[in-house]
Amino acid sequence: MKKELNPFSIAQTQLDDAAEKLGLDKATHELLRWPMQELKITIPVKMDDGSTKIFHAFRIQYNTARGPAKGGIRWHPDETVDTVRALAAWMTWKTSVVDIPLGGGKGGIICSPKELSEAEKERLARAYIRAIARSLGVTKDVPAPDVYTTPQIMAWMMDEYETIMGEKHPGVITGKPIALGGSQGRGDATARGGIYVTQEAATAYGIDLKGQTMAIQGFGNAGQYAARLGEKILGLKLVAASDSKGGIYNANGIDVEALIEHKLKNGRVNGFPEAEEISNELLLELEVAVLFPAALENVVTGENAPRLRCKILCELANGPTTPDADDILFDKGIIVLPDFLANAGGVTVSYLEQVQNTYNLYWEIEEIHWRLKEKMSRAFKSVYEMSQSQKVNMRQAAYLVSVARVAEACKLRGWV
Amino acid sequence: MFGENTTLEMESKTINSGIVALDEVLKGLRLGDNVVWQVDNLKDYSYFVEPFADQALHDSGYCVYLRFAPHPPIIGPRQGLMIKEVDPRGGFDFFSAEVHRVIEEWAKKKFFIFDNLSALVEEWATDELLANFFQVTCPFLRELDTVAYFALTRGQHAHNAVARIRDTTQVLIDVYRIKGNMYMHPLKVWDRYSPQMFLPHVVTERSWQPVFQSGEAAAVSATARKQPLRPMESSIAPWDSVYNKLIQYRETRKDSQQITPEVLALKEEFSRMLIGNHPEFNRLADSYFALEDLYSIRDRMIGSGRIGGKAAGMLLARRILLEEESEIDFSQVLEDHDSFYIGSDVFFTFLVHNDLFKLRLKLSRDSQISREEFEEVEQSFLAGRFSTEIMEQFRSMLEYFGQAPIIVRSSSLLEDSFGNSFAGKYRSEFCANQGSPDERLEVFLRAVKLVYASTLSPDALSYRRRRGLGESDEQMAILVQRVSGIPYNDYFFPSLAGVAFSRNLYAWTSRIDSNKGLIRLVFGLGTRAVNRVGGDYPRMIAVSHPQLRPEVGMEIAKYSQHEIDLLDLKTNKFVTLPTAEVLSKDNYPNTHLLVSIMKDGYLHDPYAMIHPDSREKLVLTFNILISGTNFVEITGNMLERLDRAYGHPVDTEFTASVDPGGTVRVNLLQCRPLWLPGLSGPAKVPDNIPQERTLFKAKRVISGGVVSRIQHIIYIDPRRYAEITSMELKRSVGRVVGRLNGHRRLVAGKFLMMGPGRWGSGNIDLGVNVSYADIDNTAVLVEIAREDSGHVPEVSYGTHFFQDLVEGQIIYLPVYPDDPETMFNNLFFKGSTNILTDLLPESGEFENVVHVIDVPKIADGAYARVVADPQSHSAICFLG
Repeated sequence: MKKELNPFSIAQTQLDDAAEKLGLDKATHELLRWPMQELKITIPVKMDDGSTKIFHAFRIQYNTARGPAKGGIRWHPDETVDTVRALAAWMTWKTSVVDIPLGGGKGGIICSPKELSEAEKERLARAYIRAIARSLGVTKDVPAPDVYTTPQIMAWMMDEYETIMGEKHPGVITGKPIALGGSQGRGDATARGGIYVTQEAATAYGIDLKGQTMAIQGFGNAGQYAARLGEKILGLKLVAASDSKGGIYNANGIDVEALIEHKLKNGRVNGFPEAEEISNELLLELEVAVLFPAALENVVTGENAPRLRCKILCELANGPTTPDADDILFDKGIIVLPDFLANAGGVTVSYLEQVQNTYNLYWEIEEIHWRLKEKMSRAFKSVYEMSQSQKVNMRQAAYLVSVARVAEACKLRGWV
Repeated sequence: MFGENTTLEMESKTINSGIVALDEVLKGLRLGDNVVWQVDNLKDYSYFVEPFADQALHDSGYCVYLRFAPHPPIIGPRQGLMIKEVDPRGGFDFFSAEVHRVIEEWAKKKFFIFDNLSALVEEWATDELLANFFQVTCPFLRELDTVAYFALTRGQHAHNAVARIRDTTQVLIDVYRIKGNMYMHPLKVWDRYSPQMFLPHVVTERSWQPVFQSGEAAAVSATARKQPLRPMESSIAPWDSVYNKLIQYRETRKDSQQITPEVLALKEEFSRMLIGNHPEFNRLADSYFALEDLYSIRDRMIGSGRIGGKAAGMLLARRILLEEESEIDFSQVLEDHDSFYIGSDVFFTFLVHNDLFKLRLKLSRDSQISREEFEEVEQSFLAGRFSTEIMEQFRSMLEYFGQAPIIVRSSSLLEDSFGNSFAGKYRSEFCANQGSPDERLEVFLRAVKLVYASTLSPDALSYRRRRGLGESDEQMAILVQRVSGIPYNDYFFPSLAGVAFSRNLYAWTSRIDSNKGLIRLVFGLGTRAVNRVGGDYPRMIAVSHPQLRPEVGMEIAKYSQHEIDLLDLKTNKFVTLPTAEVLSKDNYPNTHLLVSIMKDGYLHDPYAMIHPDSREKLVLTFNILISGTNFVEITGNMLERLDRAYGHPVDTEFTASVDPGGTVRVNLLQCRPLWLPGLSGPAKVPDNIPQERTLFKAKRVISGGVVSRIQHIIYIDPRRYAEITSMELKRSVGRVVGRLNGHRRLVAGKFLMMGPGRWGSGNIDLGVNVSYADIDNTAVLVEIAREDSGHVPEVSYGTHFFQDLVEGQIIYLPVYPDDPETMFNNLFFKGSTNILTDLLPESGEFENVVHVIDVPKIADGAYARVVADPQSHSAICFLG
């Protein structure tokens, strides 16, 4: 069984390291350690059979110094307030590192979506909005989809908010269906953002990626897009991919589209023809130009980090690398693109959705892509420069950049 | 005509019949002779039997009398006479086997007397079975060099049956009386001849004189009152006689609604002849089947005999739905059916005519057959032929169907009964039915023969053995049904197909009402719903909460149906294609009811018809069908009605369609009692077992129970199994499992099998390649599922595989080692001494994949114990 660690404590520890390096004063440090606003709600919802069920929910606005809170709404039976706090904190650093004018937030409802009919989900979504409507708004707090919430749920939520307000507010929530003001480019945003950051990293470190190889651990949505875009944009050749059932490897390259099709059909990458089987563990140790951990936490540890042979490690998953591995990778000269930078493409496109909603003008996909590229590129450069100047690893650098920006905003506002 | 050698051979085998005059007429009986006496009364038979028995007792000291008829004994007890009683009420199969056993046991005694064979027709209803019995028994007696006497009542049997008996026996003699004189008239005496042998002979005490003079001969023959051999239609076997009486009744009382007690009794007898004798089923059949229903069965029957359990269940269920009152008018919902039935007698006639009866008898007794041996058996069946008469009826049926696809389905006598389901044990064969009449007939015949051969498949024999049905009357009738569906491009398939149960044990959330039933639904042919297909998932619909499903988000796309089974009308074959390929060709009608659309990274239900230019990836979810039509309501109602009428949960197979106006129509293909796991009530799962004594814990338990004293554990290491790249090696693992399953050391106690799920799947990568016969001795089957945590994958509930486990009272448990809430003692399973090579020395190369653990040896004498509680959805395996 896995040891349970309080995620919020972990988030605070990470902040503490950055605060110390930045030399933040005590008050600023203390302000950034805690969510600024927490709303705990109890929601009664009528079920299909006429009974009423009570749900418990949260909305946490961690820090809004840089702009309205931004963060998804999770529906999960095991949701806890500490998980939501931690995630809200990480959203704060994420929006800051990509320099979008937003703060960090997160929400959650303790429920099991599998056990709710469509009608019950709708009633729950609307009830949640009714409970927190006063705290929401394009100028206050803008939720988005997250675990087990979907564009349909976002659409119901937006509709409920607009009903309460008596006017249109498409920007109150992102991740909406395109037909209702959602943005193009949402589907591959996370992976695309990671690819752009990788591209910048390659340039910065003088690595020519064209014709080189990549390996992807975790062949879900992010992993599949990373494979496609890695090939298309970076000219990389996919040589290995894995999922929870194991992996495959072919030094001569793997047909990405065929593999995606195979995965959809068979639920696994194993069994893909003309590729030999490889374990998840060995995949991480392949000699490739770029390694994309795109699934699980804690896969790169102090134990296997010495055996990694990639040039760039682009963290599309959350928390794939343990702290003790970070230093080893840094000493080995492996370029780690930390998770909250590498996978910030999603929140960036969410921000672009908000912008389009505000303008009431919707961009084509190409415009979304170049705006995303611009944001991610600049974000990388900031972090890279910090890393070089402070002689710290990229993760530490990313924290320094993001925390510093939030601290600056708090200071300028006169909060501390 | 007879050479010297032949004379010598004859003389060396000549047997005295006990009547010198008879021996003179027949030139003596010989070893291997079967003598059939066609008599008007049994006294005439006794006249010849008594001296025969006395002679036999004098010459050899022994004679065996097989007694099976209700008439008085042909011969009284005497020293040396062994009277062996065999009861024909056990059915043809049982009776034949038992008679053969007696013959084999007593063959050395040489001389056999049988009761009047005509009595068998009273029990079995048809002359066909009588002839079949004779055709398998007579050659067997001949092989063993015995001499046997049989009687047959003159004029009571169809010409065809008597002709078969005549062709089979060595000696056939007609006996009759005219003006007080007894005449015996040899009609057949094999391999012997004399100029007067085949004339009527007047039987006197001293000598038998042939009636030679023409005038006298004509007078005898003309006045013999020898009943002409009747054409088959006029036979007085119950099969025909009861039917004729009922037809007469129908003709004379057309306008009358009342049924007299006499006719009611005939109706019940008719029903038993067509459907069989199972008390629970008969109760329902008598309540729901009208005479017209029975007529219509007989009118659509090829050959004679019973229609078997599957056909009977289907017909009964349809009748129940049409009769019972309910808020849904099933007369508007149920599609008409026009099935045909190949009667069970045709099966045995096929065996007998093609020399397959003995093979079947041997294999049924032995209950063991390897897959390789079975392939040879199949070839023997495929080489078999049907009689001209049956072929004509086949042709006529195929003409009726034209080029409409049909399915040839097993419908054995024991199938789908209250005791045994035989789910998936016998074959069903699709016939796309394209091509010329001869081509279609060829394919159809092949299908029928394969179904017949499947009675001897390893799975079928193993099932029968386990259920104690080895001696039971198991004859194969066949149900020929029109395949439901519409042609679409070059294909033919139904829109919707599946299975539905009136109880839902797959209640993965407490919101689901187990009493409201479950539907497993697929697009295309229903083979995808009943078979465990690796990588493909039917939609599981809880009738009480049809919109709830255990998957969310993108998992829905993963756990959906990716391939469709259908009939390719161009190639005339059953094929499997990707659903995307089928749906992409054109606008399949009502696609919007079947699919959700994957767009921009999420799934949503279509708002209207699918437009080709906006077509994204389509995922089969059936969401709009469920929420926007009354399909679930209809199916739920159907299940409720059938459950109530049966007084027992039911398991049905169906197809369905939705017309452009949204009207749902259902074709009910099958209905049988549903087997439920033995223990559905609570079993207390202990919560105080120390971790070091716990082997694993399981969630999502469906089948409950307690199994103690588990001595052996067979553990297939999932990772090692996944690392095997060779398909052949993977198949070999399945064979090793099968051998372990039958190993005497393991079978002597209880054992548990565990390995990477999905056992019994068609996809060898996804599970160990086994069938029922390979796992039927295990007490517990554990699937080790390494899925992403927090997700419940589709279970095999509802497949034939799962039904096998339930009927075999094998507890099924899925275990998720990666789920933090469960527990899996890896160290025990991988670290314990592996005794595989002690049991199977030749299987050393699989030692790193297949572990066999002798639990008491490892655990200081402790055995393993499993407690599974479906109420709390938890189970534990521990040492204790």
